[in-house]
Amino acid sequence: MFEYLNQSEVIRSIVTVGSMALFFVGLFGLLSQKHFIKIFISIAIMESAVFLFFIGNVFERDFTAPIMGEGYTNVAQMNDPIPHAMILTAIVIGMAVMALGVSMAIEYYKLTKNTDIDKMNEMRH
Amino acid sequence: MSSILFIALPLLFGFITPLLNKLSKNAVVYASTLMQVFLLYLVFTLLSQNTPHIEIISIAPPLGISFVLNATALFFVALFTFLMTLFSLYYLSHRKTNAYKNETKFFILLNMLLAASIGLVLSSDIFNIYVFFEIAGISAYILSAYEKTPSALEAGLKYLITGAVASVFLVFAIALIYINLGSLNLALIAESFGTLSYNLKLLIAILLLIGFGFKVEIFPLNFWVVDVYQGSSTLINALFSSIVVKAYLFVFFHIVYLFLQSADFSLFLVYLGAASMLIAEIVGLSQTNLKRLFAYSSLGQVALIFTAFALQNAEAIQAALFIVFAHSLAKMTIFLALSKIESVHKSVNAQTLKEFNSPFLRAVMLIAMLSLLGIPLFAGFVGKFLLLKSLVTGGLLGVLALIVLASLLEAVYYFKLAGFMFSKGEKKEPMKIDFTQKLVFSLLAFLLVVVGLAPFLISGFLLEASSVMLEASSYITNLVGAQ
Repeated sequence: MFEYLNQSEVIRSIVTVGSMALFFVGLFGLLSQKHFIKIFISIAIMESAVFLFFIGNVFERDFTAPIMGEGYTNVAQMNDPIPHAMILTAIVIGMAVMALGVSMAIEYYKLTKNTDIDKMNEMRH
Repeated sequence: MSSILFIALPLLFGFITPLLNKLSKNAVVYASTLMQVFLLYLVFTLLSQNTPHIEIISIAPPLGISFVLNATALFFVALFTFLMTLFSLYYLSHRKTNAYKNETKFFILLNMLLAASIGLVLSSDIFNIYVFFEIAGISAYILSAYEKTPSALEAGLKYLITGAVASVFLVFAIALIYINLGSLNLALIAESFGTLSYNLKLLIAILLLIGFGFKVEIFPLNFWVVDVYQGSSTLINALFSSIVVKAYLFVFFHIVYLFLQSADFSLFLVYLGAASMLIAEIVGLSQTNLKRLFAYSSLGQVALIFTAFALQNAEAIQAALFIVFAHSLAKMTIFLALSKIESVHKSVNAQTLKEFNSPFLRAVMLIAMLSLLGIPLFAGFVGKFLLLKSLVTGGLLGVLALIVLASLLEAVYYFKLAGFMFSKGEKKEPMKIDFTQKLVFSLLAFLLVVVGLAPFLISGFLLEASSVMLEASSYITNLVGAQ
């Protein structure tokens, strides 16, 4: 049974199903939660789901990390490095956006004592 | 080599700004303006070449970055550089009385915004597009929350949350494209995109539409826009309305033309654009707050440009580029003028619009409003006329009716505003407008009138730009050939 699971295609399917489930958990959180921080967490979950989906679907079993060095010489048996580079970039960007968002939420809370996105209506005064 | 300077110089400037700040506080402001003037000079040298504009820069595979500067891209680069330079010139005199706190940061953000908007237009690699998408986004979030008042922070937060969600959908689309086609280069994607199954194509199209839909302010993903405009400072709105959204619009349709071409999809986009325009103008009618009103007007005009691009024929694209030109200049004029009024009267609403005393500013605002309405003899007319003409030739009379109706609704509230501006009543003391600001306003108004009177001055270039944008195949061969 575990032999069957240990194939690239099966692993990819599991990752796809799992990451899509995670994506919808994040989407549900985004639509149902009202607290700023919970909304940011939901967006982060959606992001992670997409990253996981991407990395999981380019993964090949028995392939090595795309690094040149001792024991890592067979270029044909290496995983594709481009998705990793892309996801690293995207993680950094995502983290920067989250940090910015949280800091804005804190500033906003200091001024208004409000953490609820539905009660955020400075414009309607 | 010059096209990379448009991205590299503003980015580099962003990084050396803290060093310049050590020299003197004013060094940053003047150096940034000088750099933008230099970019403007580069634009003019490129525009004055008589040969077809095409320049491809490929950086070798470990980085694998490529930029394409063709006539369409050059149009947007020229527009962004020009408007950003005018903005900086305006700010040079604005800062004497109403400087932002911490100008160093402000100028870093301005230059990042310029670099990212130009980068979006020039990139021919979908992951670079994502990176510039985020850089433009982050600078815009910070600029919109810059004043740190509760309403500015609310605007920034709303902008940031929608932007972050948009980027998740964009990354999802990019991931699907890379997993199935193994490439990030727009030309290589476009070549093999047809081999994908119908469902996958549909999924990618929907994800891209959601991802870019937030940014190109299309219904129903534009609920955040009006609050952002109202919460941000008036000066910043000039940038949002005339630069940022135009860059996103171009990139979205660039991608649509390259690999999402299908009759059904483009018809759907045409109706989506026309419906968004009508909805924006209907809701705009009942607004009393000036910034909100102009935000709805921006939504309407952007939806109009969206419709024109979605029609996918050379005439309609030419119309779209005309409207982009006229709308960017007019909204820049109006928001700068509103910010001038705000800096003198401390607030901007219907009352201050009645009271401010400056015939010059009043005339300039009137020109911009008439151009937005598409009154003949102003630049806005040419674009709207070409668009209506191409709708008639295309037989899309339903869309035509929607657009005409929306334009009439827009006319109602613009005439109401003009009524406020020219109503008799008590005026405050005459407003002082110094030379630089007069220069900026006159230049914008002059261009709006001149292009309206003599559209042939730019229509040749715009026609070249629109045919280049439409010809996906030559873009693909040029780009693939360069690698």
